[in-house]
This record gives sequence, C-alpha cells and structure tokens, in this order.
Amino acid sequence: MSLSDGPKHGYAIMQDVERGTGRPMGAGTLYAALARLEERGIIEALPPEDRRRPYRLTAIGATNLAEQLHRLSRFAQMGLRQLGETSP
Amino acid sequence: MIAFLIRCYPSSWRARYGDEFAALLEERPVGPFDVADILLGALDARRRSRGHAATLSSGRGFTMSLRIGGIAAILAGILWATSLVLASGTILEVDGIVTGLLLVAGAVTLLVALAGLSAFQARAHPLLSWVAFAVPAAGAVVSLVGVAGMTFVGDRPMVGDLSPWYIWVFGTLTVFLGSGLFAIVTYRTAALSRIAAITLGVGSVAVTLAVLIGAVGGVPEAIGIVLTLAGVVSFLVGWCALGVDAIRLDRISAAPRPA
Repeated sequence: MSLSDGPKHGYAIMQDVERGTGRPMGAGTLYAALARLEERGIIEALPPEDRRRPYRLTAIGATNLAEQLHRLSRFAQMGLRQLGETSP
Repeated sequence: MIAFLIRCYPSSWRARYGDEFAALLEERPVGPFDVADILLGALDARRRSRGHAATLSSGRGFTMSLRIGGIAAILAGILWATSLVLASGTILEVDGIVTGLLLVAGAVTLLVALAGLSAFQARAHPLLSWVAFAVPAAGAVVSLVGVAGMTFVGDRPMVGDLSPWYIWVFGTLTVFLGSGLFAIVTYRTAALSRIAAITLGVGSVAVTLAVLIGAVGGVPEAIGIVLTLAGVVSFLVGWCALGVDAIRLDRISAAPRPA
C-alpha cells in the first residue's frame, strides 16, 4: 500500500509502514516481501538512484490493491453494521 | 556486521538485492531486533532459492504466452477484418475458398490470442478473464464449424433447420460479443492498454449493432454501412493495439534487470 502514491525505495517504504502501523519494520521482513511481490509482478524495480533502488506498483498490482482494499472496506462496513444491530 | 548479515543470504539474492539492502542497513542503526529479522529473512531467502530455477522457468513461460498472444492478436485482427470485407463482396470479388481459408485462419489465430492474453490477465482476475476467454473462443469454434459446413454441406440444413451460413453468422456474432466482453475485462484489469480495450469494445458493439440492424431492418442502409465499416476498422485497430501492447510488455519482462 505504501507504493500506492508513487515509487519509493526500501528505507522510505519502511518509514511509511512504521508511520501507518505504529510498529517497527525489519529490513529482513521488508526485502522478503519486496522479493515476493516483484516475483508475482505486483511491483517492479526502477533504475537505482545511487545505491538505493525505488520500486513502484505495476498495473496488475494497483488493480489487486484496489480490489483488496474494497474487499476490506466492505468487510469492515458489514462488521460495523452487525455491531450496530447487535449493540444494546 | 552488515557484511556478515548480507553474507547469510544466498548468492543469487545478494546479486539482486545485496547493494540496495546494504545501503538500507547503513541508513539506520542495526539493533538486536534487526539482526533477528535479517537472519529470519536470510533463512526464508535460502528456502525460496531452492525453487528459484523453477520460478524463472515458469516466468519465462508466462512471457512467452504474452508474446505469442500479442502476435496472434495482431494477425487475428488483420485476418478477421480482411475476411469480413472480402465475405461482404463490397470492395473485391475473390474466390470463396480464399475467404474461407482466411476465416479459418482468423478463427484459429483469435483462439491463440485469447488464450495467450487471458493467461496474462488471469493473474489479476482469474474468473472474469476466463469467462472473457470462453465466450469469444466458443464463437470462434462455432464459426469454424460454420465455415467447414459451408465447404462440405453447402446450403443444406446442418443443425436442425440451420444452414452452415447461419451457424457461421451465429459464431461470428458471438466472437464480436465475446471480444466486447474481453475488452471490458481488459479495461477493468488494466493489464493491457485501456485505449486499445476501448477501441476493441467500440468495434465489437458497432459490428454487432450493424448486424442486428441489418437483420431487423427499418434503418437506412447508409447507417448500417457506416456502422459496419467503423466497427470493422475499430475491431482491427483494437486487436492490433492490444497485440502491440502485449509484445511491448513481453519485451520489458524479458529484458535483463540490472544487478
């Protein structure tokens, strides 16, 4: 999700995730995720800037992300609705 | 310390990510949490590197299907447009066998194009992509049956009261409707050019409307002709543009990545 507003390199992604979740993110976790996402065609690497390489979402990745977010939003709305119905 | 942590990763991983990973680790202090996280990451990379060769091979197969699908889409667009224009007999009178062969070649290349491009699009929307494949593919098969019937049965009824010509028309209409569906799915997945998808969709709708207007009647003939011409041109341009975009994407995927 961090790449949804444009390309970012690893350090910027880590900062973004940490800001969003309030939890630290390890470099090992980040690069395991980057390698998997790149392999699946969800993200792609851009030419390196100095030694840092930015990544961006591919078209398939953006579509996948939008779908996941919509699904999550529908699920959350359903939960809230049920909670409202069952709450005293 | 950083050099030691990076050496824990497999060599193929280091060749691809090592430099940028080192740069990242140099940007902030490495604490005990980071060391444990990196060691777990290295373990994960080593476990995954065993299947690396297989992954590369399947990735290559995927780009091959994209390239073949792209080339077939360009050929299918050209063959369908040419054979429809020749079948109408408005511009050029040619032997029926030539038109029949072009129709068969068009149907076969369309099947290949649909399979190749759908395999690519199915990565994002499997169900939609395979429905969008099934409809025009079924149309192409039915139109092939119609062409074979026209060659071997002639004007006699082939299925029930239907002559081969009607079967061919039904198959061809399904191809156009299915191409429209394929265009909608392509637009939705955005896996290939959306402009090409819109062009193909417009062409499919225009040709279908022209055929329906011709069948129902009551509309000036000129409107039918304009719709047919616009539809066939748009259909041709749409498939060719999708094919070119698929080949472009294949080249990007196949290009060697800088280490």
